[in-house]
Amino acid sequence: MSEVRLTVNGGEHVIDVPVGASLAHVLREELGLTGTKIACNEGHCGACTVQIDGVPRLSCIMLAHTVEGEVTTIEGLREHPLVDAFVRADAVQCGFCTPGQVVSAAALVAANPEPTREEIRHAMAGNICRCGTYPKIEEAILSWQD
Amino acid sequence: MARLIRTEKEVEGRFEEVWIVVEEDPLEQWPEGPLSVVGRDAPRQDGSLRVRGEARYTADIKLPGMLHAAVLRSPHAHARVQRIDLAPALALPGVRAAIGPGEANGLEEEAGWAGAPVAAVAADTFAQARAAVEAVDVEWEELEVVLDPEDAVRRGLVTGEARRSERGDVDRAFAEADVIVEGTYRTQTVLHNSLETHQAICEWQGDTLHVYISTQYIWGIRQEVAETLGMPEDKVRVVCEFMGGGFGAKNSPDEYTFAAAELARRTGRPVRCALTRHEEHTSAGNRNSTIQRLRAAARSDGTILALEGEFFNSVGWSGWSSPTEGPMRALYACDNVRTVTHAAKLNAPPMKAFRAPGFAEGTFGLECLIEDLAARLEIDPLELRRSNYAESNEGTPYSSKNLEECYRLAEPHWERRHEVRARSDAVWKRGVGMASQIWYGGGGPPSYAWVRLGSDGRATVITAMQDIGTGTRTAMAQIAAEELRVPLEKVDVVLGDSARGPYASISAGSSTTPSMGPAVRAAAADAREQIEDIAEQRGLPKNTPVEEVVGLLEEAQILGKGARGPNPTGMSVLTFGVHVVEVAVDVETGEVRVERVAAIHDVGRIINPLGASSQVEGGVIQGIGHTLSEERLLDPETGRVLTTSLDAYRMPTIADVPEIVCEFVDKPDEHLTNLGSKGLGEPPIVPIAAAIANAIRDATGAEVHELPISREEMLRALEAAKEKERRGAPAAV
Amino acid sequence: MELLRPSSVEELDGGVPVHGGTEVVPLLREGLLAAETLVDVRGLVPRGTRDGVIGAGTTLAELEVDPSIPSALREACRLAASPQLRNMGSLGGNLLQATRCWYWRLGYPCRLHGGDRCHARDGEHREHAIFANGFCASAHPSDVAAALVALGARLRTNRRELAIEELYRLPDEDDRRTTTLEDGELILEVELPSVQASVYLKAMDRRRWSFPQVGVAAARVGSETRIALAGVAPIPWRIESAEDLDKVTPLPRTEWKVPLAQALVRRALAAVD
Repeated sequence: MSEVRLTVNGGEHVIDVPVGASLAHVLREELGLTGTKIACNEGHCGACTVQIDGVPRLSCIMLAHTVEGEVTTIEGLREHPLVDAFVRADAVQCGFCTPGQVVSAAALVAANPEPTREEIRHAMAGNICRCGTYPKIEEAILSWQD
Repeated sequence: MARLIRTEKEVEGRFEEVWIVVEEDPLEQWPEGPLSVVGRDAPRQDGSLRVRGEARYTADIKLPGMLHAAVLRSPHAHARVQRIDLAPALALPGVRAAIGPGEANGLEEEAGWAGAPVAAVAADTFAQARAAVEAVDVEWEELEVVLDPEDAVRRGLVTGEARRSERGDVDRAFAEADVIVEGTYRTQTVLHNSLETHQAICEWQGDTLHVYISTQYIWGIRQEVAETLGMPEDKVRVVCEFMGGGFGAKNSPDEYTFAAAELARRTGRPVRCALTRHEEHTSAGNRNSTIQRLRAAARSDGTILALEGEFFNSVGWSGWSSPTEGPMRALYACDNVRTVTHAAKLNAPPMKAFRAPGFAEGTFGLECLIEDLAARLEIDPLELRRSNYAESNEGTPYSSKNLEECYRLAEPHWERRHEVRARSDAVWKRGVGMASQIWYGGGGPPSYAWVRLGSDGRATVITAMQDIGTGTRTAMAQIAAEELRVPLEKVDVVLGDSARGPYASISAGSSTTPSMGPAVRAAAADAREQIEDIAEQRGLPKNTPVEEVVGLLEEAQILGKGARGPNPTGMSVLTFGVHVVEVAVDVETGEVRVERVAAIHDVGRIINPLGASSQVEGGVIQGIGHTLSEERLLDPETGRVLTTSLDAYRMPTIADVPEIVCEFVDKPDEHLTNLGSKGLGEPPIVPIAAAIANAIRDATGAEVHELPISREEMLRALEAAKEKERRGAPAAV
Repeated sequence: MELLRPSSVEELDGGVPVHGGTEVVPLLREGLLAAETLVDVRGLVPRGTRDGVIGAGTTLAELEVDPSIPSALREACRLAASPQLRNMGSLGGNLLQATRCWYWRLGYPCRLHGGDRCHARDGEHREHAIFANGFCASAHPSDVAAALVALGARLRTNRRELAIEELYRLPDEDDRRTTTLEDGELILEVELPSVQASVYLKAMDRRRWSFPQVGVAAARVGSETRIALAGVAPIPWRIESAEDLDKVTPLPRTEWKVPLAQALVRRALAAVD
C-alpha cells in the first residue's frame, strides 16, 4: 500500500492503495464516485473518461499514483448545461458510456464553445457508444448553450 | 375476463405453442396520429439520472461484505478436464471459496470452445480472484477441434436437424425461368459488446436468493435460476433497474450467475461475478457467421418465380439456429420457395440472439441477390420490389402491412440517385442502394402492469419490466399519462425488481413496447374508470381534472391493474421497412463511406417519435459497424478468439456516422392490442448491410459478397468488376 | 510494485519507465510486461517544441495543433489513437509502442516473445506486414514513427544521438527486440531538419481511432523525397521510391495492402511535389 493524494471535484482525498491501482478503481471503489464507468479497462472505449486539469484522459489506464492535477469526474459536472442538452436531445440510451461522453464534451466546449460538426467528431471519437446515440450527442453539443 | 388459450408465442423468430391465460382487451384503440402525450416527443424520464452518472447499474452495486469472483476458462477449443486441483487457488491470500466442474450450472468438464467456463473462485478482491484462477491446476485432454461449418455439417456435427421448408414446385419454376441469378454470400461473426459486461451479484438472505443482474429478462432469470437450483420461483428475487446494453446477449443467467449463487451460498457473503471485456469477447455470445448459397428465378417481366437457399449457421458449441432463411421465405410474393438451414456445431463460442438474429444476415444475402436480379432484368430495383409485393405471409393475412407506403416514402430518397451518381469523380464513386426489411416485433401476452394514484395527483406505473436503454420506461409513462389524462411529468414508472411488480415481458424481439404498452394502458384505464366513478358519486362533471378528483382521497389510493390482451388469431404480426443508402467509394484504396441513410419503417403507432428516432439511428449505426468494420476472428489453429479487445474489434465511432433520416408510417395496427404498436428495436438493423452493398454496386459496379466490406473485400470486388468488364460482360451499373 | 520518481536522468537505475502509461499500464495488466519497479520519467523528459526540437515528453495532442512542426508529423498525431490517448501519450512513448499483432498481445509463444514460430504467418494475418515479414509478420503501429522517418528526424537519448531509423531494428533469431534502445536509455528529444513539404496519409477501417492499415509519410527537401510507411513491416519502413512496392512479400491475406500502399504513395508523392 502506498499513499495517494488526489483533488477530485474540488475535494482533497488521501487514500492508501497499492501501486498499480488505476484512477478509475480509486474513484469508484475508494471514493464511491461510480459515475465514472469501467467498460473495457484497457483504454479503448472512453467510458472511464475524466478530466485532469480540464483535459480528458482515461482513468482506467491512469495509475492513481501518477495523477498530477485536479481530477474532474461526471459528479463534478452534474450542473453543467451539457447535462440538460444531452437529456433534451435524447443523447442517452443505455447510458453506460454517457458520463464519459459528457466529460469529453465538457472539455471540448470549454476550449471551443461553438465547435463545428467536424470538430465535435474529432474530439468525441474516443468515446464509444454501442447504442449509437452519436447523432443525438452531436446535436446536444451543438445546442448546449440553448 | 381471463381465459386460457393455446397460442403460438414468438421470440426472436422462434415459435413455440404455449398455454397462457390472457385477459380480454376491450379498450378501443386511440385515433390515429399524435395525441396529447402519445405520439409526441418526450425526453427520457431517467435521462438525467443516466447522464449525470447517478443511475445505479449492476456494475455499480456494492453490497456489504461482497466478494469478487473470477472464472477459469478453457484455453483449448475442445478439451476435457482429466484432473483439476483447486487447492493451490484456495491457498492464496483473500480466497474464500472455489468451485469446479459440476458444482455450478455452466461449469463443465468438457470445454467445447476456448473460453468455456470450467471453475470459479471468490476472493476479497477481483485481483485476488484472478490470481487464484490462474493457480488452479488443470490437466487437460485435448480433443479434435472443428471450425469449418460446411465440414461440420458434412460430418453430421450439428446442434440440431437441418430446418427445411418448401412450397410450390421449385425445380419446375427454375426450369421455366427466363433469368436465373445465383450467388454465395457470407456474413461474419460479430459481437454484442454491451458496454456493461455480463454480470451478476448473488446474495442469500435466509432461503431467498437475491440476484442483481444486467439482464433483458428479469422474469426469465427468475424462472431459470429457480428451476436450476430447485427453488420456488418466488424465492428468487431479480433486480435490474438500469442496464448498460444487451442487444440480445443478456436474456439468460449463464455461468456467471450460477457461479456467483453457489459461491455466495458457500461463503455466506454476497458475490459479484463480472466478465471482463476479453471474456465478453470470448464467452458472452455473438451473432454467428453464415454462408448462404442462393438462387432466384424470374420471368423477364420481373415476376419472381422461385427462390432457393441453402444456409449454414455456424452456431458454435451450443445455441440455436437462427432464421437466416426467414427473409427469403417471407419478404416477397413467390409461389416456389425452398430453403434448408444447417446448424453447424463448432468448437467456437456459442451464438446468442443479436438484434434480429438471422434476418439481419439473411436480408444481406437475399437483397443483394434481388439487386443482381434487377440488374440482369434491367428493371429498376424499387420497381422490382413493388411488383413482387407479398399480400399475405404464405397464405396468412397480415395484421397490418404498410410496406407499400414505406416504398412511397422512399421515392424522393431513391430519386436522389441521379444527382448522387453525378457527384462522382475519378477517385470517389457515388451511388445509391436500397433494401427492404421484414421482421417480427408484435410481442404478446402475458404481461401485466399496475397503476397507483394518490391524493398528490401523481400516478405510478408499477411493473417488473426492464428498460435496457431503449426508452421503454418513458414510453410506458406516456401511455399511462395519455390514458389517465394527466401531464407526463406526473407519472413515474417503477420497474426493475421482481419483488416490486407483476410479470413483464422480455426486452428482446422488439417486444417490450407491444407487450407492455397495452398492459400499462389497460391498468391506467382501470384506474381512470375508478376515478370517473368517484367523480360521478361526488356529483362532479365528467371532465373534472384527475388531480381534483384524487385530491379528495387523503390516504386512500386508486389502484388499477391491467394485462396484455391476446394477439389477433390467424394473422401474422410483422414489421416492415426500407432503407435507401448513399455511399462513396474510393476505388483506389477501397475506402467506403456511408454518406446518407434514409430509414423508413412501419411499426404501427409510434409512442415517442424522439425515442423512436434514437432507436433507428442506433440500429443503423450498429448495422454500419456490422457492414464495414466489425469482425470477431478466431485463430484457425487453436480456435481462440484473436479480437479480444476494442482496438482489434472495431465498432463505429461518432466520426463514422452518416446523415440519418428517419421516417415512420405511424399507422396503428388495427388488429393488434389496444395500442396498435409494434416493436422497433430490431427492424433498423435488418436492411442496412444489403442497402450499403447495393449502393456500392450502384456506385462502382462491384459486387460485394461478404461482410464485413473491409478494404480487402472492397478491393477484391472492384478488381473482379474490372475483370468482368475486360471479359466483355459489362458491369451492371 | 513500487513507483520511483527520480529527479535526474543520472538517478535512473533499472525499472520500467512510464510516461503517459497508455502502453505500459495495459501491458502490465495483461502480464505481457513484468515490473517490480515503475519509474515515472515525466520529470526527466523535456516537453514542448523549440526551434525544431521537440521534447519527447510532448503529448500527441499538443503536437497535433502545433503550427511550428511539419504537417506530416502534425497529421500523424491528429490521426493517431483517440483524443484521450493523444492527451496522455508522449511522443517518445509513441515511438516505442509494441505491435498490435493479436498473437503477440495474447501472449502466444511467437518469435517476438522468444518462441520459434510466427503464428500470424500460418494463421490470421490480414492486418500484418507486407515487407520483411519472413521472421515475424507483425506490423508496426506507429503513425508518428513513419512520419519521423520520412522527415529524417534525429533522436537524442540520455546516452547518444541517432537517426530515427537507427532506433529500429528487425527482430532476428539472436535478438527479438524491434528497437535498439538499451535498458536505462530514454529518448529525450527529437530534432527535425527543415523540409519544404510533407504529408501523412492513413488508411483506417473507421474514420478515427484506428491503427494504420497502411500509413504513408512523405517529405521533400529540394528534389529529394523521403517516403516511410506504417503498418507494413515489423518496424517503420522506409522505401526509396514507389517502385519498391514491387518488391513486397505479402502473405495471402495481406495482398490487399499492396494496391492500397501504392495508391497512398502515389497520392503522397503528388501532395509534396
